[in-house]
Amino acid sequence: MRILLVEDDPMIGDAIQGALNDASYATDWVNNGLTALVALQAHAYDLVLLDLGLPGKDGLDVLDVIRGRNNPVPLLIITARDGLDDRLRGLDGGADDFLLKPFAMAELLARMRAVLRRKGGSAQSLLDNGVVSLDLVSKQATTADTPDVQLSSREFALLQALLIRPGAILSRSELEDRIYGWGNEVESNAVEFLIHALRRKLGSHVIKNVRGMGWMVSKST
Amino acid sequence: MDGFKKHLSDSIQVRLSVTLSLAILIVAALAGVFAFVSALNEAHEMQDETLRQVAVLFERQQMTLRYPAGAQIVGDDEESRVIVQYLADSSKATGSDDTTTPLPFPTTLADGLSTINIAGENFRVLIRTTSRGERIVIAQEADVRDKEARESAWRSLLPFLILFPVLLLVVGDLVRKLFRPIATLSKEIDQRDEQALHPIDENHLPTEIRPFVVAINRLLARVAQSMQAQRRFIADAAHELRSPMTALSLQAERLSATEMSAPAHERLLPLCRGIERNRKLIEQLLALAAAQSSPDRSQATVSVHEVYRRVLEDLLPLAERKRIDIGVEGIEDVQVNINEMDLFILVKNLVDNAIRYTPVDGRVDLTIELAPESAILQVKDSGPGISAEEQILVFNPFYRSLGTDETGSGLGLSIVKAIADRTGAHIRLSFSDSVKKTGLCVSVCLKRAKP
Repeated sequence: MRILLVEDDPMIGDAIQGALNDASYATDWVNNGLTALVALQAHAYDLVLLDLGLPGKDGLDVLDVIRGRNNPVPLLIITARDGLDDRLRGLDGGADDFLLKPFAMAELLARMRAVLRRKGGSAQSLLDNGVVSLDLVSKQATTADTPDVQLSSREFALLQALLIRPGAILSRSELEDRIYGWGNEVESNAVEFLIHALRRKLGSHVIKNVRGMGWMVSKST
Repeated sequence: MDGFKKHLSDSIQVRLSVTLSLAILIVAALAGVFAFVSALNEAHEMQDETLRQVAVLFERQQMTLRYPAGAQIVGDDEESRVIVQYLADSSKATGSDDTTTPLPFPTTLADGLSTINIAGENFRVLIRTTSRGERIVIAQEADVRDKEARESAWRSLLPFLILFPVLLLVVGDLVRKLFRPIATLSKEIDQRDEQALHPIDENHLPTEIRPFVVAINRLLARVAQSMQAQRRFIADAAHELRSPMTALSLQAERLSATEMSAPAHERLLPLCRGIERNRKLIEQLLALAAAQSSPDRSQATVSVHEVYRRVLEDLLPLAERKRIDIGVEGIEDVQVNINEMDLFILVKNLVDNAIRYTPVDGRVDLTIELAPESAILQVKDSGPGISAEEQILVFNPFYRSLGTDETGSGLGLSIVKAIADRTGAHIRLSFSDSVKKTGLCVSVCLKRAKP
């Protein structure tokens, strides 16, 4: 994977380039918008990391030129500008994500993976939050202690609903909506029953209860 | 008395009232004295004129005098009687008092008016020599004349006595009415919110104080401007710190990923924590600057439950690290009118504080209470709580309770206060356990959305 990093701050640029290299991405680092545009014409990059406050040509203008050339390269904005206007202009202008400084490198890498996945159009066959992974084809769940546990279709539906957005809290009615199709009679306590079953199979730490709110699986760290 | 003196020198209203009253008093007194004296003289002159008219009448009618011998005439009053006699008859006077005529006038009196004492009583006397060569005396007792003159003089004073208090009342009332706009103005300025720096309405004010108000408005504008500048400086400074902070944290992160000895790794941890703390401080500074600025934010109908959920999703990892049982009590939801981001930041800061100041294995509850017009959001924790004396201080930026080793930014409640002030929400601090006086309970009163 070849990444173009457009960042004028030498310390940040150096740190990101180093971390990207450590994560096995080949990284070209330029420090202004014009050089970035030249580099984009010369090479095909898999992803662009674009700072907005650039000397010479502003990051948002660089973005306009890139999209104006019909270049569909995945692009992630990293900036210290937190104004809603900048964010909207960036996303409307064709950026795939917007990351606010200061950020942790792990978060940048996760966002890059997400953008690449979305852009690649590859349907995911596996949901994972670092604690439990769910195979969407075989309907098997895996944790560190319990490999390849076969789930019933309702257990699977419930765990899938939670794993689509790890860290999000889903209420009982929201989970019921996900588990039962239209016209299906909802049994009382069905959600509790399924969660109890899942915890028995995978360990009680997999699904967390938030008092008065609902259930969640923890966010991947 | 000293208080009155101070009042007199300080208050234009009092000074004006007192000065005007004194002026009226002096003028009234002078006018009264003048009227009294002139009325007295007038009365005397009129009575002298009467004596003269009688003398003229006597001469023109060629009257001769006969003295009545003790006969009483009905309606006659001895006191106010006008006596006419020949001066030459004075020597024939028999009585020693003034009841019988003729009276013993000294025969040497010259023609004209004079006042003489006869038998212990004062008489006003007119001597006239007629064309026949007779000298006649026309006299009247002076006491009764003076009494009548005084009475008429007093009557001339009456209007002043009535007018004086009326004028005082009118002046007092007038001055009070004229000063009412100033009183209203000072009350309006006094009751202002500390954040309210909008200009004072100059219309409907007397032209005399308008320049003053214009000057105050200019001052208010300058204050608003400098406050704005100060906030912008904080925001800009925090903003500028973002990039170097990013560089620092990324470098530290890379460093921790490299191979290093165990002691080096151990020393790296506090460094990373310090960087994390700075990052959080910058974020809070920016949040505070944002909360204090731009009052025009779009309002929407926001579900409190939804905000609670987002806050819990954000802060659950923090609570889990301290094994704090955090949750929402009750299932009731309510819609409130507020900017969603404002409410989110407000609740998030309250819950963040609650988690920070609650000991390990503690408990944090989020509740919603409904009132007809408003909704009360509460965040209760099982921490030490905040004493009544400290409750005012905790909203100050960078204030931190003594005896806590928490590494918060000290800005959380300032941000909450700024948002509450801007959105018109009310914040109240109390104890979660009012009997034991422990645990902080923060209540936020918000206006409910109309369904």
